[in-house]
Amino acid sequence: MIRLLPWLYLLAAFAFIYLPVGALVLFSFQDGALPVPPFNGPSLHWYADVLRDDRLTGALGHSLIVALGSSAVATILGFLAAYGLARHILPGSAAIRALLIAPLTVSYLIVGLGLLIVLTRAGSGLSLATAAIGHVVINLPLAFAIIYASMGAQQQNAERAARDLGAGEAQVVLLITVPMLAPALAAAFFLSVTLSWDEFIIAFLLTRFDVTLPVEIWSMLRSGLSPRLNAIGSLVFLVSVTVVLILELLVFRKRRA
Amino acid sequence: MTAAIHLDAVNHWFAQFHALKDISLTVEAGEYVTLLGPSGCGKTTLLSVLGGFVDPAKGTVRIGDREMTHVPPAHRPTTTMFQDYALFPHMSLRDNVAFGLRMAGMARAQRNRKAEVQLALVGLADAGRKRPHELSGGQRQRVALARALAVEPEVLLLDEPLGALDLKLRRAMQDELKAIQRQVGTTFVHVTHDQEEAMAIADRIVVMNAGRIEDHGPPTRIYRQPATLFAADFMGEMNHIPARLTGSGAETPFGPLAHAQGGSGPAVACLRPEAIHLGAGTFNLGQVRVRDAAFFGTHVRAHLVPEAAADLLIVAHLPADSLPAPGEMLTLCTEPDAFCVFAEEA
Repeated sequence: MIRLLPWLYLLAAFAFIYLPVGALVLFSFQDGALPVPPFNGPSLHWYADVLRDDRLTGALGHSLIVALGSSAVATILGFLAAYGLARHILPGSAAIRALLIAPLTVSYLIVGLGLLIVLTRAGSGLSLATAAIGHVVINLPLAFAIIYASMGAQQQNAERAARDLGAGEAQVVLLITVPMLAPALAAAFFLSVTLSWDEFIIAFLLTRFDVTLPVEIWSMLRSGLSPRLNAIGSLVFLVSVTVVLILELLVFRKRRA
Repeated sequence: MTAAIHLDAVNHWFAQFHALKDISLTVEAGEYVTLLGPSGCGKTTLLSVLGGFVDPAKGTVRIGDREMTHVPPAHRPTTTMFQDYALFPHMSLRDNVAFGLRMAGMARAQRNRKAEVQLALVGLADAGRKRPHELSGGQRQRVALARALAVEPEVLLLDEPLGALDLKLRRAMQDELKAIQRQVGTTFVHVTHDQEEAMAIADRIVVMNAGRIEDHGPPTRIYRQPATLFAADFMGEMNHIPARLTGSGAETPFGPLAHAQGGSGPAVACLRPEAIHLGAGTFNLGQVRVRDAAFFGTHVRAHLVPEAAADLLIVAHLPADSLPAPGEMLTLCTEPDAFCVFAEEA
């Protein structure tokens, strides 16, 4: 009995974590109008419904564009900042590092409100681009921290060797630094993608006509529960899981080898 | 390709630390020179000055006929073989070796051919497709050498290249480095703190200490007639015998030495353990009492207390065929030429 306790604890912990997601996915296959027990048997009805809905598929596409675009920008900016700080002695580099990472501690609501005020004052309208800017703001510190942490002496020596063999600065960065940092760059990119993908508050505040998927789901929620929401939620979950799996397979598996 | 190096009054500071003090040195084209010294003596800094990684505060560096003092590494006719090899882990060995040629704009087919030739030179003929992590330490070292030589530098700089290898492999690689240097004819400048490595490999040794050149010359000369006490001690074990300069020679507890340089005051007479022999000879050390002795294979290493100076402890390498017992009395001699006398520094 005593020996079973750890396993029971493990089971309970995982049930606590995954039961909500499991229920969500299960009732997305509900054959009926309400996503509540009893489960009336599997049906793909709601998935068909979701994929026929232009607003939803449009929002899904918007989310993808915002996630990929903002993550690419955050990763590039994070890499440039990390390279500069790791390779050059700059006045006040500790303060610069702290300022780069500080936004991690600011709540998304504050970041979103701040950007909303600035953007409206500046007279630029709200769009997917402004939401993407918001996501760059929240993901840049993370991308910077991940990339900066993995810039070690090994790359520095390889860069020195490349310069010694006649490489110019651009060649050093493109042929040596970036390939050697590929795992960290991929980790920063995919983590940014998952965070941007289901970010709601900033996207809600900074979009207007074209919205991302979490915002669209929010507006659907206001008209009550429906298995459609479960279906779209399951799709969102599927994408997140896929990205995490890619991260696991490409980045962490490789690092272990 | 090969070129001479001329350093003239090179000085460098790291913040307040005077790392290189008035270094002037000429290395002939095609010479194999080692920079030898303890850690912190400035030998690696000097190598970095040659490679262009450190811009010296004062002085000039000329390689061949060209002024190179402030030229960046990419534009120097030098390549460096780094201490940790600094291979590119994401490239095959062939791409590693061909990297310098690629930077020089050589076409792919041609540079790949040349890389294979270089890999064959270091004994890795069929390994071009492998990645660095598949290799042993010694093999990585060979790849680093092939990569540095592929661009046909005029001067190859080696920063403690054998430091990470075990002793046996290190001795084998020393022979190989020397053989490759003869074959390609490039000027090699090799940094090490291992005096045996320096003697085994170099045409000329430059002994450095505290940012200065203490002595430079062929290994035999540096070992037998070092210019300074530091060089004498660094090249191998030395007996220090207190002496006094008398103007025409030196007075030691074992009798006068005629050949020492002028001057007066306290001095140190240095004697290598292997220069001490049993019996009587041209310079007698007299009777000594054996404190302890140990068998070392090629010789017996003994700690001895001479009758003539009871507060002195002498180390001698005696013939391996008999092991003297502690307390035993022996008669020892040496040659007057075997001594090096240095005035005591105030």
